[in-house]
Amino acid sequence: MKKLSIVFLVSAVSTFWFAGCSKEPLNHLTAEETRIYVTNYDSVANFSAYKTYSIADSVAVIDNGQHSRALSASDQAYIDAVNKYMQQRGYVLTTANASPDLGLTVNRIYNTATSVVTYNDYYDTYYGSYWDPYYWGYGGYGYYVPYGYSVYQVTEGAVSVDMLDLKNAKSTGKIGLVWNGLVRGEGIFAESNANAQVKALFDQSSYLKANN
Amino acid sequence: MKKFMHIFSAILFAAITFSAQAQNQGKAILSLGYNYSLPTGAFKSDLISNGSARGFTGDLMFTINHKWSVGLGFGFQDYYQKYPRAIYPTGNHEETSAVLSNSIQALPVIAKGTFMPLAGKAGLVQPYITAGAGLSFVSFRQYLGAFGNVSSSASFAAQGGAGVIIPFKKNSATGINIGADYNYVRYQHFGYSNLNNLSFHAGVHFPLK
Repeated sequence: MKKLSIVFLVSAVSTFWFAGCSKEPLNHLTAEETRIYVTNYDSVANFSAYKTYSIADSVAVIDNGQHSRALSASDQAYIDAVNKYMQQRGYVLTTANASPDLGLTVNRIYNTATSVVTYNDYYDTYYGSYWDPYYWGYGGYGYYVPYGYSVYQVTEGAVSVDMLDLKNAKSTGKIGLVWNGLVRGEGIFAESNANAQVKALFDQSSYLKANN
Repeated sequence: MKKFMHIFSAILFAAITFSAQAQNQGKAILSLGYNYSLPTGAFKSDLISNGSARGFTGDLMFTINHKWSVGLGFGFQDYYQKYPRAIYPTGNHEETSAVLSNSIQALPVIAKGTFMPLAGKAGLVQPYITAGAGLSFVSFRQYLGAFGNVSSSASFAAQGGAGVIIPFKKNSATGINIGADYNYVRYQHFGYSNLNNLSFHAGVHFPLK
């Protein structure tokens, strides 16, 4: 009977251990599903009152607070897509010196964070090591780590499209940001994805429409 | 998850220790089973509508007499659901289009009592009813696309259930345990109210000595 109980215990625990494995959400997302599209707008802005716009001819690259200008194939694809969807909404493209009602910019934003990996955390000498010494055929042994840590960096990126109120700049004394679209996730800097990203931003901003 | 497994290991160790101490008072019986859980009510409508086939349950019970036993119930259940892309309000005038994923791991630890009305009488199948209350350790991760938040907490939990024990042979204390439980889990975070669920379990039931 004792043997039977032990067999039951071992087999049951094994079965339930596997049954209990959890699903990792990030492993069940396609590249498209990782992306988020965030839009925000100034509630007092009357988007139908604007008729013309101008768009910057290059992209601002903001990297940990440092900024520069660039125009890669992907950047141009984003600019082209913004033009396409602005014109679909009835806005008319003009030049920056023709007093447009709106100014648009496309920006690439990068944030790099520095972290530390501590080897003793996952080569714990005793219980808690991510790699049980048993895996190597040395069950019961402990690890020896002669050095402690390494530094690594992770960079996260985003693309933003900003819409500025130039029509009322003189009367208010400032250039107001009236709409902003932000894209984050995998593959956002790919040229082939630019059109779909910008379309998504406009699709969820039905209030962007000129009254012609 | 690792934190939960540590808690689970500590509880299991404590229960086994208690079992050893209680050997002179009554028989210690361990049940281990596979568990399937169906979210109900607000849990189903607000967080996870899918059933979860990733779980197990266990009871370590000490007999008081033929019909009554008391002990500790424990378990683990993983809930996961991915919702199609939709637009969510995320600020005053901010909207976010995203695929929403909810991931919840629950580890209940419940003090419980079991009553077997037909214990000691002839019959192969022994029905039982059970009730208990305790804590459910909950890890909740919610992702918009690849961007998420994690929250861990302990919530009040109560359980009521019924089932049958089918001995492998007449008068054997070892057998199969099949049953169902309704679990009330209070969860008042991020505007949610509960993680109530109906669970079904099947497994083995055997004395520890």
